[in-house]
Amino acid sequence: MNGFNYYSDIFKITEERLKILSDTALERGGDYADLYFENTTYFNLLLKDGVVSSGGFHTDFGVGIRVLKGEKTGYAYSESTEMAELLDAAKAAAVIATGINDRRVYGKVIDRKQDIYPVKEDWRSISADKFLPFLKELEKEIFSRDSRIIKVIARMSDSVSDVLMYNSLGEITYETRPMGSVSVTAVFQQGDKTENRTASRSYRTGAELIGKELVKELADEAVKGIDARFEARRPKGGTMNVVMGAGASGILLHEAMGHAFEADFNRKGQSIFSDRIGQRICPEGINIVDDGTLRWNRGSGNYDDEGVPGEKTYMVEDGILCSYLHDRISASWYGVKPTGNGRRENFRYHPIPRMRATYMESGNADPEGIVASVRNGIYVDEFSNGQVKIGEGDFTFFVKSGYLIENGRLTAPIKDINVIGNGPQALADIVAVGNDLKIDNGTWTCGKEQSVPVSCGIPTVLISRLTVGGE
Amino acid sequence: MEVNDMITGEERRLAKHCIEYAVANGADGIRVSLNKSVMDSCSMLNGDLDKVSHSADRSVFIYLYVDGRYGTFSTNRLEEKELEEFIGQAIVMVRMLGEDRDRRLPSPERMAKDARGGNELGLYDSYYEDSDSSSRLERAERMSIFDSLEKKAGYKVISEECEYAESADDTFLIDSQGFEGRHTETSFNCFSEITVQDEEGNRYSGYWWEASPHHDVLKLEECSHTALERAVSQIGPRTRRSGRYRMVVDGSVASRLVSPLINALNASAIQQKMSFLEGSMGKKVFSEGLTIMDMARTPGRSGSRMYDSEGVATKDAPIIEGGIVKQYFVSTYMSGKTGLEATVEDISRPCLMPYVKEKKLTDTEKNVSLKDILRHCGNGIYVTGFNGGNCNPVTGDFSFGIEGFAFSKGKITHPVREMLITGNMTELWNNMTAAGNDTRQSSRWQIPTLAFEDVSFSA
Repeated sequence: MNGFNYYSDIFKITEERLKILSDTALERGGDYADLYFENTTYFNLLLKDGVVSSGGFHTDFGVGIRVLKGEKTGYAYSESTEMAELLDAAKAAAVIATGINDRRVYGKVIDRKQDIYPVKEDWRSISADKFLPFLKELEKEIFSRDSRIIKVIARMSDSVSDVLMYNSLGEITYETRPMGSVSVTAVFQQGDKTENRTASRSYRTGAELIGKELVKELADEAVKGIDARFEARRPKGGTMNVVMGAGASGILLHEAMGHAFEADFNRKGQSIFSDRIGQRICPEGINIVDDGTLRWNRGSGNYDDEGVPGEKTYMVEDGILCSYLHDRISASWYGVKPTGNGRRENFRYHPIPRMRATYMESGNADPEGIVASVRNGIYVDEFSNGQVKIGEGDFTFFVKSGYLIENGRLTAPIKDINVIGNGPQALADIVAVGNDLKIDNGTWTCGKEQSVPVSCGIPTVLISRLTVGGE
Repeated sequence: MEVNDMITGEERRLAKHCIEYAVANGADGIRVSLNKSVMDSCSMLNGDLDKVSHSADRSVFIYLYVDGRYGTFSTNRLEEKELEEFIGQAIVMVRMLGEDRDRRLPSPERMAKDARGGNELGLYDSYYEDSDSSSRLERAERMSIFDSLEKKAGYKVISEECEYAESADDTFLIDSQGFEGRHTETSFNCFSEITVQDEEGNRYSGYWWEASPHHDVLKLEECSHTALERAVSQIGPRTRRSGRYRMVVDGSVASRLVSPLINALNASAIQQKMSFLEGSMGKKVFSEGLTIMDMARTPGRSGSRMYDSEGVATKDAPIIEGGIVKQYFVSTYMSGKTGLEATVEDISRPCLMPYVKEKKLTDTEKNVSLKDILRHCGNGIYVTGFNGGNCNPVTGDFSFGIEGFAFSKGKITHPVREMLITGNMTELWNNMTAAGNDTRQSSRWQIPTLAFEDVSFSA
């Protein structure tokens, strides 16, 4: 891990200047100020029609300066680290404190050194031509799996971010955050029908991610279930049992419940879970977690973007709502410690409470037994395009693939339908949780005001009633 | 209106230097887009100032063609020496990529030649230059109605959030064939979201927004009122029985049903076998009432532009006319790949034209309002929001969550919730029975209130 000098060289900054900027940001009476320096390089390659015919790299460099007065936020940023421009940004952010009497104390957090994503091969040290054979191999492997494949589109990207954070409490934190992602879409043709499947993997890891193991994993997933996809039909709609398969269907947990646990919505009273801390919101034995400490996970962070160490946060423990997801503002407002959820897309945005890796812990039910217990319902193994109304709790999710369950058995494949429900009601209606938690390591990105990388997971879960839209 | 020189003469010289440097170092072709933008916003929470933010960006995007190979690069480090090094590394990387001779700059004759000033379409409002933090705060404060909100709502008010934002963008686009274009645009935006609570403790949120390149168009005082009306109107929802109903879709959300059509007309989707409109050029695929124009060059309106991101000149043109597909969107690259004639790469400003089934509208009859359409339909479901869902690009099969109201005899009766619509895009648009002329100026997509018959609703 790099030391302070590595970052101070990149950003041409000293501790003395950090203090001057922080003092300037507070000159109108702000309670707290922080600075977020970022130097990110992105790299990407695209294989299409058999050729890696497009690629590039991108540099993003700048500093965000935030001032808090009470819970109010002033924010400005500069794309230069010239002191004059930084001072201008500090003064612009300072304006928020003008004429406001609210005051809040923002406390220090305990710095807990951790290295959740040790890197073997630095992405920035490897030339593009090293990755070209990987994409060609991936394409070849996928074509070899199924004669119905007519096209393969493969993308790989990496990013490395050097981040230095400083605040008016004198806390200095810094780290370098890697990210590697590969996604592939295979297009299949059978008679006059066309279907496609996409598989992706994304981790906070170094270039050691790229290799034969990943080729096999992505190829397996890209062709998995394609026969069922061609046969799949829209089922008859209605209210029925819904079994969520382990893994990617955890996105429903992220959208339908996780956002409503974010403390900014609750602080403003807008979430359906506002004022429900300490109350039972789902059956005993259910634990729902937002975790920033999973090794190499896309949602993990040694620190969040406010310099708070990443941690594992229980939102629901044994069915009781026990914590929201906090940034420094909401933590101060609620009088609790920040949970390391203050995240931002980049230096252009101020941090807000965001999820990291959100999942339900395993229960004790046998997954096959869960399916066997359903007389009439659907099994969903892949959701997409979910949306939730935070205040009402109503959600809608599109079912990309799944099966009918008839008399305890998976029967006809289904697709292109939605399930709709209400978050708190769905939690209360959980009747079985499998012992097979699976984290999905796809390229999940959450888009609440800003885009941040996340991941999700869930064991096999049975919800007793959800509305399924069909023919 | 005069355009303030956000991009300076020195920065234009730097952009031109990028081209000269790349060509001198082996590039066959290069396009450079230099972008600068400034944005200020002011947010209120429950009547008090909550957030102010200021941002100023500048970046350069470089599209490089080297030895039949292609790459895209960007940076916000604009020192000349750093840029030269950046371009040198970019050329080295492009040479590593696979050869693809279809990657090339557009033919010079297709390029816009009338867009060098930057404000040909009147999208820049110099009011922006006179605005400051106090005038923005004053505008944000005018939006808030928090003090009188509970009385107006008749329900407990949980929160009122208002945001007022102003931005200015300046883009300078040049290429190694001599093209030079400039686009400047200001944007003034207001947004309100109000959450209320009924007697049972259920929360309902409503939002409203307006946006315009011109500051004097926004109705700041009405934004929160409309958001409040939309929140309160949802109280007391009922579930309607599943079945096939007439559907009226509010113009503020109707673009959700149009975007799958526009996406399916993109040559990239067609070439990748991901379009349900492959092979539809010149064919009548939809209801004769469906006409969508690309009104790319309408002065003063959001979305108007003189050229696309390749610098290709836009023009006003029919995309779908009388249900017949008239245009695919074919970039220079996709033209090479597919053999289709190159056009602009994407739609700029789609406008869906008024229509009432079995009625030839004269010019004086083209004022078709929501009220007219509800009356015309009689009974059904009036959709005011979409909640999740998807459209399969290959088949056009869709399923969307909806919210809205049941209506009977042309009058709204009660809100509905937890409902879905399912169907196929081609069938849906063949069942279109009416399109109003009540589009919102705020939207780039000019889609009015729409009506369809025989739509499958699940609850």
